[in-house]
Amino acid sequence: MIMVSMNTVLFISFTLFSIGVLGVLIRRNALIILMCVELMLNAANINLIAFARHSGTVAGQAFALLVMGLAAAEVAIGLALVVSLYRKKDTVQVDDINLLKG
Amino acid sequence: MPFAQALWESLARDSRLVTPVILLWLAGTLMLWPLGSLLLKRMPKDRWAFFTVAILLLSGWFVINTPNAIGFADMFRVDGVTKGFQILCIAAGILTVALGRQQLGALKEHSVEYYSLIIFSISGMLLLVGATDLVSIYFAVELMALCVYILVGYLRTQERAVEASIKYFLLGAFSSGILLFGISLIFAATGGTTTNLERLGQAIALAPGNQDLLVFSGVLMVLIGFAFKVAAVPFHMWSPDAYEGAPTPVTAFMSMAPKAAALAAFIRIFGTGFNGVAENWIAPLSFIAAASMILGNIAAFKQQSIKRMLAYSSIGHVGYMLLGVLAMDSQAGAQAVWFYMMTYLFMQAGAFAIVIYLQGANEGERIEDFKGLAKRRPLLAFAMMVFMLSLAGIPPLLGFFSKFYLFRLAIIEGYITLTVIALLTSAAAAYYYLNVVAQMYFKEPGEAAPPPVCICTKAIVALCSAVLLVGTAFGPWIMDWVGKIVWG
Repeated sequence: MIMVSMNTVLFISFTLFSIGVLGVLIRRNALIILMCVELMLNAANINLIAFARHSGTVAGQAFALLVMGLAAAEVAIGLALVVSLYRKKDTVQVDDINLLKG
Repeated sequence: MPFAQALWESLARDSRLVTPVILLWLAGTLMLWPLGSLLLKRMPKDRWAFFTVAILLLSGWFVINTPNAIGFADMFRVDGVTKGFQILCIAAGILTVALGRQQLGALKEHSVEYYSLIIFSISGMLLLVGATDLVSIYFAVELMALCVYILVGYLRTQERAVEASIKYFLLGAFSSGILLFGISLIFAATGGTTTNLERLGQAIALAPGNQDLLVFSGVLMVLIGFAFKVAAVPFHMWSPDAYEGAPTPVTAFMSMAPKAAALAAFIRIFGTGFNGVAENWIAPLSFIAAASMILGNIAAFKQQSIKRMLAYSSIGHVGYMLLGVLAMDSQAGAQAVWFYMMTYLFMQAGAFAIVIYLQGANEGERIEDFKGLAKRRPLLAFAMMVFMLSLAGIPPLLGFFSKFYLFRLAIIEGYITLTVIALLTSAAAAYYYLNVVAQMYFKEPGEAAPPPVCICTKAIVALCSAVLLVGTAFGPWIMDWVGKIVWG
């Protein structure tokens, strides 16, 4: 079995997290922003699972499982909102929603 | 099955700590349950409002009678702070239901889902204020926020409601991603051993290796996540849009209940959990507090819409309340913030009740709509004046007292510069609050005849203004009472 050092884990999860954050900031499609948020959650999951294994406890792994469930709930609500936006405005580009400002 | 048995035993032992939450879950689920709605099909929809208020009152009674204890593997703690903030959240829920009944009836938008979402959201808040573990805090925050996202977009036929809910949702989900990553970094800094707030400090100290960077970035990300939730500058950009687009009762709800719950969690996390690593968050949090006071109050100057103005003013108020978090002394801080939040709740509920009343006449959105209200509805105008002056913190009203108490705590703790900024900005804030008063008293009213005032509006406005007017006379007594509640 290959032992992966904790710094590698942190590096990978941080890379994943940065991709997610950049995606949210750069992409203008609401669906892709949702996917990038999922990336951010999964980056955290990697940390949780790896460090739970590192310390030999299961609490972190249980936390990660719960986070997956929560991510599903979040996506369900997010997609419902995106659908209602599409019905209203025929677009899912966030740049096109600019009714409220000031 | 030792595992199942242990689970059952711990549930049987600890579920008494969360009886109000279980009650709310049962009620909310039953309301959504198809059979339940079939059975009650003949019932007019707005009866659900009474049902919801009854359930909330019952859960409030349970909150008061919950024993003080820690349970669920140290993840949930009931003490004075928990109970005090739980009662605030429930009161905000009751006020919201009362505020919304009339308007939702007029829009023919009454539905079971609206009330059950409010109930679920409040159950999340009740969990959040008692949560003592980063895990339970994260899930409680999400339970609370997910329901509010839907509530903001509740009037899905209105374009601006949909837009507001999308903006709120995307930024909220983004912030919860940051919050979770921060939690995972802190978990990593402890070497993967604990997320419990009480044990965090020790675990970080014991963990091998140099963890400074992990702790710093983790604490900073948790701070950012919570700053999003309470809408503090520079993470406030969702708040004015969400406030303006949401149905007005939901706007009132958002400005009261989730803020109270998130601030309670803020105090618990930073006062208890991150107390030992204070040098990492004192400076960023001071910056956030100062920026919220300054930017929130200045941006409120040029707003035409009263909902946006109240949104920016609530950003400013959050800045003041963050002084209580900065106090480090989590008991005294919680006491001051609790008192501030309680008076804030009454001021907001009253002000929004009047905005909703004017919306019944197709106005109330813009500050100009308050023109000449003193001639048309002298009592309402007087009450609005009380709310505005109290928000501004003019001395005889309770709003002054709560500000005074919070600022005094900040001075005792040595935040002189921040207190000076708070004083200056709250003096500047008087300008835009008084602008509303001037519109009501010194401008001529329009032609339209004023609509009748519904009984709910009357009751809320009377209750809130009475509390604000009479409260100061009983100041010392109230402070004793708050002390008793919060110190448990």
